[in-house]
Amino acid sequence: MSRRAMTIVVAVVAVAAVLWIVRDAVTENSTADGAPASAGASVAKTPWGEPDLSGVWKGEIVGARDGRDTFNLTTLEGLYTADARARMKQLSAKDDPALQCAPLAFPRAAMLGQPLQIIQSPGFTFVFTQAYPAVRIIPTTGRPHTAEQYLFPSHLGDSTAHWDGDTLVIDVISFNGESWLASAEDRPTNASTAIWLTSPAMHIVERWRRIDADTLEYQATVADPQTLTMPWETPRMTFKRQPADRIEEALCRPEDGPETYLARLRS
Amino acid sequence: MRARRFALMALVAGCGPAVLAVFAVIAAPLGLAQVRPYTPPSSASAGADDQSGTLLPPGVESATEATKRVASYTPDPAKYPVPRTSWDGKPDFSGVYWPGVNIIPAPVLLESLYRPDAREYREGGGAARGLIDWRSIDSPAYHCWPPSPANGSMALTFQLASAPGFLLMLNEGGGTFRIIPIAGENERPQNQSRRPSFQGSSLGHWEGDVLVVEVTNFNGRPWLGGARPPAQPPQTSSDALRIVERWSRPDGKTLDFQAVVEDPKMLTGAWTGPLHRRAMLPYDMIQEAPCAQDPALYARHREYAASASARGTGVRGTGARGTAARGTAARGRGGR
Repeated sequence: MSRRAMTIVVAVVAVAAVLWIVRDAVTENSTADGAPASAGASVAKTPWGEPDLSGVWKGEIVGARDGRDTFNLTTLEGLYTADARARMKQLSAKDDPALQCAPLAFPRAAMLGQPLQIIQSPGFTFVFTQAYPAVRIIPTTGRPHTAEQYLFPSHLGDSTAHWDGDTLVIDVISFNGESWLASAEDRPTNASTAIWLTSPAMHIVERWRRIDADTLEYQATVADPQTLTMPWETPRMTFKRQPADRIEEALCRPEDGPETYLARLRS
Repeated sequence: MRARRFALMALVAGCGPAVLAVFAVIAAPLGLAQVRPYTPPSSASAGADDQSGTLLPPGVESATEATKRVASYTPDPAKYPVPRTSWDGKPDFSGVYWPGVNIIPAPVLLESLYRPDAREYREGGGAARGLIDWRSIDSPAYHCWPPSPANGSMALTFQLASAPGFLLMLNEGGGTFRIIPIAGENERPQNQSRRPSFQGSSLGHWEGDVLVVEVTNFNGRPWLGGARPPAQPPQTSSDALRIVERWSRPDGKTLDFQAVVEDPKMLTGAWTGPLHRRAMLPYDMIQEAPCAQDPALYARHREYAASASARGTGVRGTGARGTAARGTAARGRGGR
């Protein structure tokens, strides 16, 4: 009897030990092979321990040109309210504030295929764009937005961000309602107005993360209850690392004239 | 917000000649925007008719007060230690800087070093020949060009950020910025193929606690100093411009900047600029203040360019914008 009991105990312990080892092995396996979801382990870190997004990056030109929609703009067009559509019918391509050298907010700035540079310092992430002399200053401590009494509407809005694992999640409010979400070149259908209004009620949530050493992924959700019936989601897009330590000097030079400038946006 | 707006209007629009005169004295060499033509009366002295005391809300410091405060301040690194970065222990420049004053003037006037044979070039506004009509209200700032590189391309209010391998300078007016790599700290390949630019290509290195930045690869268009019509044409630069800047922090509340300017095509010798000291604002970020286009002005410049083109001066289309009038300095000292 006691021998039998001992055998059972030994067997149970043995089985438990085997299960333990197998479970460990399985866990290890899934950690090793589970990319990209758990690629975080290999993502470089800044000296103060944040995922390192810094570098010069460049994406593809996206939009709705020549009958191809590569940025969900067909969906966006369908989300505009009747009131916004009525206002958009009154405008034309030359009303695009980008032609006045107004800074472009993301996600539109991500559509240009122009280089951008990210530099991190403790508590802040800076995003520089070569297409415009504009810098995004993004607090990354998860602090609240700028207090209302000091908040004023702007082209780039007021950003605050926090790290969700290896993803930088940026919350942007306080836009001035002048920006367009795409350019007059973007025409999902022949019937499109190709006007992409926003309002001061716009609220953007962006997600930036590195999916490998040379690739940055970007995705944005745009809510604007005054002009859109539902939030609009951009597709995930990627930027590739560029072999440069800095972007070129950014100048939107009015002496080049809006025609030249527009050509540069297209190129 | 209403108070801010008011402060801003008071500072930029409503303060009258006093503040503008102060700006003219202190900031003219910085190449500030001239939003509208303005000639300070010769009798004007800073603060003589300063209305800011009655116009500004409580707690908002006028430009006159602020510069006085900086001029009379003695840095105290024992009381306010220089902050240092966690990654290399070097001085941390991060912060927002506003009021500035030249605590040691330049030994000689820049104008005294201009080569006489550069006069003809300068009369045409330099590389911007025909584009900049310096006898009227034009200036580089009017065209939203970056501020003078002789002052580090710094605007009236700017933010510095120390990052591993970089010093960043972000201007509040116009949104221009400089990305200054620091040699020995930056493993990324140096970009040797940058095109010549208004702010040049910078490369910094540490000499003790001083960041020495060498700037070359300019495009020949910046003015080192403004024009003083009718006698003094703009202080133009050439593509041979080379600037060595020294950035340091005397204590945790101040920033010192000095530049040595060489330009063999324009100057007979190297010019040592003033020792410029800036104080910090109690904010950790600047505000968006793009250089906004003025359609009426734009039309005027197009017209001018067309007529210049007809005269055969070979100008491309032109446009001009005024600098947006708002910013961190207008927040005053109220803090948030």
